[in-house]
Amino acid sequence: MGLVAVRNLGRNKLRTLLTVFAVSVAILAFILLRTVLSAWTVAADHAAKDRVGTRHKVSFIMPMPKRYLEEIRQIPGVQRAAGANWFGGKDPKHENEFFATLAVDPKAYLEVYDEVEVPEEQRESWFQNKTGAVVGDSLAKKMGWKIGDRVTLQGTIFPGDWPFEISGIYTASRKSVDRMTFLFHYDYFNDSPQAGATRDQVGWVVSRIDDPSRSAQISKAIDDHFEERDIQTLSMSERAMNMSFIGMISAVLRAVDVVSLVILVIMMLILGNTVAMAVRERTHEYGVLRAIGFMPKHLAVFVFGEAVVVSTAGGVLGIMIAYPFVENLVGRWLEENMGAFFPFFRIDPITILWALVLAGVLGAIAAAIPARSASRLVVVDALRRTG
Amino acid sequence: MSSSSASVESQVAASGIEAAAKGAASAIVEARKIRKTYLRGKEELTVLQDLDLTIREGAFEALMGPSGSGKSTLLNLIAGLDRPTSGTIRVAGADVGTLPEGQRAKWRAANIGFIFQTYNMMPVLTALENVELPLLLTRLSSKERRERAKTALSIVGLTERMQHYPRELSGGQEQRVAIARAIVTDPKLIVADEPTGDLDRKSADDVLALLTRLNTEFNKTIVMVTHDPNAAERAKKVHHLDKGALL
Repeated sequence: MGLVAVRNLGRNKLRTLLTVFAVSVAILAFILLRTVLSAWTVAADHAAKDRVGTRHKVSFIMPMPKRYLEEIRQIPGVQRAAGANWFGGKDPKHENEFFATLAVDPKAYLEVYDEVEVPEEQRESWFQNKTGAVVGDSLAKKMGWKIGDRVTLQGTIFPGDWPFEISGIYTASRKSVDRMTFLFHYDYFNDSPQAGATRDQVGWVVSRIDDPSRSAQISKAIDDHFEERDIQTLSMSERAMNMSFIGMISAVLRAVDVVSLVILVIMMLILGNTVAMAVRERTHEYGVLRAIGFMPKHLAVFVFGEAVVVSTAGGVLGIMIAYPFVENLVGRWLEENMGAFFPFFRIDPITILWALVLAGVLGAIAAAIPARSASRLVVVDALRRTG
Repeated sequence: MSSSSASVESQVAASGIEAAAKGAASAIVEARKIRKTYLRGKEELTVLQDLDLTIREGAFEALMGPSGSGKSTLLNLIAGLDRPTSGTIRVAGADVGTLPEGQRAKWRAANIGFIFQTYNMMPVLTALENVELPLLLTRLSSKERRERAKTALSIVGLTERMQHYPRELSGGQEQRVAIARAIVTDPKLIVADEPTGDLDRKSADDVLALLTRLNTEFNKTIVMVTHDPNAAERAKKVHHLDKGALL
């Protein structure tokens, strides 16, 4: 029976090829959109379990007193802590290139973020050079920066020219790390007259804790510690903190999620229409099959088989196109050029599995109505129909 | 033909001869007071009216009549494709008028071989695969199905063309493949609806000679609807219908 279903696909080769291609395009779009979603959440998914973030209780754009950093280090369970300030600098030679610029305490920052890897020699050089900066390898490649280069950034929040020397280039041992970040000395920023009201303030604090299972208690202990102060804090696990950033664009992500499913529904309707057309054309033939003893369920098998083979073939083709397209072209380009948003843009194997399963299942759903029509044919009426 | 094919062919012939010997006079089709009406809008259209018909095993009978006389409707009832509005019809021992659709399909697969005017081959299957098609409904192994289909094709003289697709065959050859498909399950009754209607004279004669051979040599009961007097001449008996009644 399977042979008949498969052979039927060769009846109108152009139509079958176009349908398979349409399904493959839909599956490609689905995979790309799902990969966008997984790339957005990769930082949260791969967040360290033993890190807790602390920010101003009102908003993460409001800074906290710098002394909070020292006090957090004293909270039981906190091993190390590092502060960071969003600087908002840009390279006037590359006006349109966005990258994160953070003012940090170099030693403390690298202790807390041990997945950020800087060669020992470069690390020492950075520690000792107040105007030194360490940049991600993707950013260095994109900007054409080398160690020893002198770079002047323009402050967008803190105006003026800010000269730096590239002391090191970091790589990452964890895929959630943005390799497009520009890190420089907090003291350089804080001692500058442009720091203004932000002097001796810290944007957020990230703590390394001794027991990941106690992150909720330690977060609460930190917040309780500052409860009676003028500025209260909000602490949470790194994953929750990353998710709260993602939450700002949750509507967009939701829309992408819905669109990815809508594309599959459209694919299903196109496939359903094609299958229905084929069933109409073969009404007389189905009448003959019924006459010689085939049961309604057999005709349903033919119709379902044909639709599932087409949709699965389209799914496999879509996956075969998607892999090299994302892995060698789009993914690489996005990581190198938009690493701040997509530090790791690669296809998740689960997405592939879903694409394949959904292609098959939606193919079967698409065939449901045509299969029902075929199985409900009245034999003598079907035999009278021609074409 | 291979020795195994020859053996299956002789079994097919033997089963027919045996059946003929057991009940030469027994009826394979018994229609009593058959009435068939259709609703066309609000109007009731009577196609067959209180028709009685008996066809004995081993017969080769033709149904003739003008268009609209009810001959194809009668053939559909005999073949179990349709049910009478009233009356009873027993074919090959079964009351086909009362069988539920699922059982009728199984009954057709086991008892009836169909030959249509337009051959009705599956264009995507080879001649051999087309002939094998009804055997997919049996429990035969793939190898046995192939052997039986080859035997059926050898009976109709198309062994050489078994790997050809319908589009690569002439009309006469296609109809012979259709006959092979009709006999491959060794049915008790073969129903043929205008089997020569789309053929030239030469091909029609070949097909009629083949039907005659199936009837005489393999003792197959054949009921044939035809407009063609030449075809009717091959039948042992001709029934004339007009306005839903046998004349």
